Amino acid sequence: MNGPIRRLALIVFIGFGLLLASLTWIQVVAADTYRSDPRNARTAIALSTKERGLIVSADGQVLARSEPQAGAPQAFTRTYPAGEAYTPVVGYTSRLAGSDGLEQAYSDHLRSRRDLTISDVIAALLGRDLRPLNLQTTIDSRVQEAAYRALGGQRGAVVALDPTTGAVLAYVSSPSFDANLLVGADAVEQRQRLLDDPAAPLLDRAAEELYPPGSTFKTVVAAAALESGLAGPESEYPDQAEFPLPGSTATISNFDGQACGRGGTVTLQEAFIRSCNTVFAALAIQVGADQIDRIATALGFNRELEFPWPVAESVFPRRDLVDDPAALAQSGIGQRDVRATVLQMALVAQAVANGGEVLEPRLVARVFDADGDTVEQLSAEPLGRALSPAAASVLAEMMERVVTEGTGRRAAVPGVRVAGKTGTAEQPGRPPHAWFIGFAPVEDPRIALAVLVESGGNAGESATGGLVAAPIAAQVFEAYLTD
Amino acid sequence: MNRNLEAVLVVGASGLAAFGVTLVNLASGGTVDAQVGLTFVIFLLGFGTVSLALRRFAPRATPHLLPPLGLLAGIGIVEIYRLNPVRAGLQRWWLLIGAAAATATLWWMANNGVAVLRRYRNLMLVGAAALLALPMLPQDWAFPLKGNEVNGSRLWIVLDLGLVDLNFQPGEVAKLMLVLFLAAYLADRQPALVTARRRLGPFRVPEPRQLIPLLVVWLGSLGVLVAQRDLGASLLLFTVVVAMLYAATAEAGYLTGGLLLLLAGGVGAYRSFDHVQRRVTAWLDPFSDFEGAGYQIAQGIFGLGSGSLAGAGPGLGRPDLIPNALTDFIFAAVGEEFGFAGAVAVVAAYGLVVAVGFGIAVTARDRFRKLAAAGLTLVFAVQTFLILGGVLRVVPLTGIALPLMSYGGSAMLGNFVLAALLLRISHEEAT
Repeated sequence: MNGPIRRLALIVFIGFGLLLASLTWIQVVAADTYRSDPRNARTAIALSTKERGLIVSADGQVLARSEPQAGAPQAFTRTYPAGEAYTPVVGYTSRLAGSDGLEQAYSDHLRSRRDLTISDVIAALLGRDLRPLNLQTTIDSRVQEAAYRALGGQRGAVVALDPTTGAVLAYVSSPSFDANLLVGADAVEQRQRLLDDPAAPLLDRAAEELYPPGSTFKTVVAAAALESGLAGPESEYPDQAEFPLPGSTATISNFDGQACGRGGTVTLQEAFIRSCNTVFAALAIQVGADQIDRIATALGFNRELEFPWPVAESVFPRRDLVDDPAALAQSGIGQRDVRATVLQMALVAQAVANGGEVLEPRLVARVFDADGDTVEQLSAEPLGRALSPAAASVLAEMMERVVTEGTGRRAAVPGVRVAGKTGTAEQPGRPPHAWFIGFAPVEDPRIALAVLVESGGNAGESATGGLVAAPIAAQVFEAYLTD
Repeated sequence: MNRNLEAVLVVGASGLAAFGVTLVNLASGGTVDAQVGLTFVIFLLGFGTVSLALRRFAPRATPHLLPPLGLLAGIGIVEIYRLNPVRAGLQRWWLLIGAAAATATLWWMANNGVAVLRRYRNLMLVGAAALLALPMLPQDWAFPLKGNEVNGSRLWIVLDLGLVDLNFQPGEVAKLMLVLFLAAYLADRQPALVTARRRLGPFRVPEPRQLIPLLVVWLGSLGVLVAQRDLGASLLLFTVVVAMLYAATAEAGYLTGGLLLLLAGGVGAYRSFDHVQRRVTAWLDPFSDFEGAGYQIAQGIFGLGSGSLAGAGPGLGRPDLIPNALTDFIFAAVGEEFGFAGAVAVVAAYGLVVAVGFGIAVTARDRFRKLAAAGLTLVFAVQTFLILGGVLRVVPLTGIALPLMSYGGSAMLGNFVLAALLLRISHEEAT
């Protein structure tokens, strides 16, 4: 009788072996898959209650931190003390509402290393520091807050860059919202309220949304003309009130329906300063779609930009324009199917300010550990050269005159040489978008920016880039440069 | 001496349970409270009483059974306390009642030995059948003893005493009676079951009469499945009886025949019962119907996976997200908070109990004792395998208690008595 009993014992132990094999699979081999499954509520709970690293601005202001919960030493609450201006950058981590911004993009750096994942256990055994890492952003709180304040609740965005490093000094989308709303117990309702808000506060207008760039795109067309040598600032063009579109009865007219100068001819420089549509329509046809496309692509159009989160791809539709001079003429003034993000237009200003070299926009300056020691330093990454230094400096000079005597006079800051270009992008049936791109100081650029106010903002139908966007740029320049 | 080592280990298991409760207290941010001391004292009282009873009534019993049982009950009570402190308090009382029942069993058999049970062979069969049928009592009649349905299974009786309801799963005791009946029956009838053979062409086949017990068990198991909608009890009953028939006769035909009947019954049940179908679907891919049938298994796996190697720590995981974490899914809760390390320790402790049990069966003095020890061990092993396999997706989930760990009084009582019987048999083998 012992034989069968031994065989039964063997069968039972084979069964127990299967249990151990399955246990090993679930808890060791596939553990991280199950842990990070989006349906596993523990992931979100752990993210929202474990200690996460700090996010601070370039000047040391705390933008996100974890505070211990009263009475529960192991649980933390994430708070965003710096206010709604920073939400498009910092984002949030919420158990109920998901995550966004740097909180999401750098989640792996910021998370607690005490999760006891396999990698954490190895790190612990190797004696590594298990405290969460912290981020220092490139955001300058003075610039960020000045830009948000200057937008004054109007729908729009401001992106400001350090032209020599690519560091993002301000990344503002307006209106924004208080990220702390999405951390509480009623996060789902709060999120729904934000989703239902017609002003779309969850929309990132700086990089998620594409706008027709209007006359700010003349900067790109002028750059293509200068770079190709087809035209110089003193090149003369017919000064017409209307430009007949080839192969069509339609025309392009100037903003006020008048000729740009006194009639006769006008130089490229004057046309740029006064933003003459007729001249730039002709110039676009003269320079050609291929040449404009080459410069636009070098500046970041038609490609995917490296950024902590996906940036909508700005469009210069070369292929549709090569054999369609009418469409090319309209594209030359930033209308028709040309589209750009605010971040992209800031890159255009940055390139001109930096002698023609485009730098990758960066939002994170460094990653540092709990002792404050730098773990990872992020530095300037060139994206490529769009313009020769000579062409860039000619263009810079033209842009400075836009502010001193042209459409961008309201961007002027006393005691600072400011350069820029305005844009008023028409859209059917709605007030135009108001744009300004520029940089300062001209002799040693320290800040380049793009400002967009959607659909005219408070000014409505009467809005222009010079009237609505340029004053915002002036406030941002002032906040950064005059201290 | 071995009994002293046993005593030390039992004190250790009590200490471990108390330490676990301390950790849970600390994890919830509160202060260490009286629960710690209470847990230690009650464990010491329960397992200590059994240990002392062994010294008095069965001194030569193996010392290797009580400590792993203490460890399992200890980890179980920590997890129950973590999930529901009130239930943990009740479970401690059941532990004391179980220990008292084990002590009583040892005392009862002190003079005449386990053989005394053979006298009550047929009474035990009747008792087992009656206990299995009790839950079929009407749920709403005036008599204070009522049947009760929990989670769709008709396994419970309620003793309605006006002020309090006492819930009990008579099946937990019935299965012990059934094993003891079978051990006695098979010990008496073995020659008749083995000798008769018949030839059918080149095959030697057993006399049709020999297949009768197999068919009876099969029908009985299906009856449990149909009447009480309990897949676990049905499978347990069938597997254990078939294994005991095989142990008694060494006829491999019982195993293959049993397997064929199991498959036939399984396919039939799959076709006939929605609840069986849902369990099979949830077993094959719990994540495909995450919000529905697969939810419980998927949550258990998420818990286990999140626990990973070292676990979240007692009180620091979220086993409260797992449905039925107190009962069927206690192992997933333990795996989440004690990690792979703790879960392996638990499986190893069950393995140790089972190994010791089979060892007792192999070295037992006579046929009845061998069969009784093997049957009791099989009940414990198969039940453990079915529920752990269900949680770990080795087999379809059958709602059944994990011995000594799941919350539940009847199971605790039954398993203490089971352990006492095994211990008594091990005492007798060495004489």
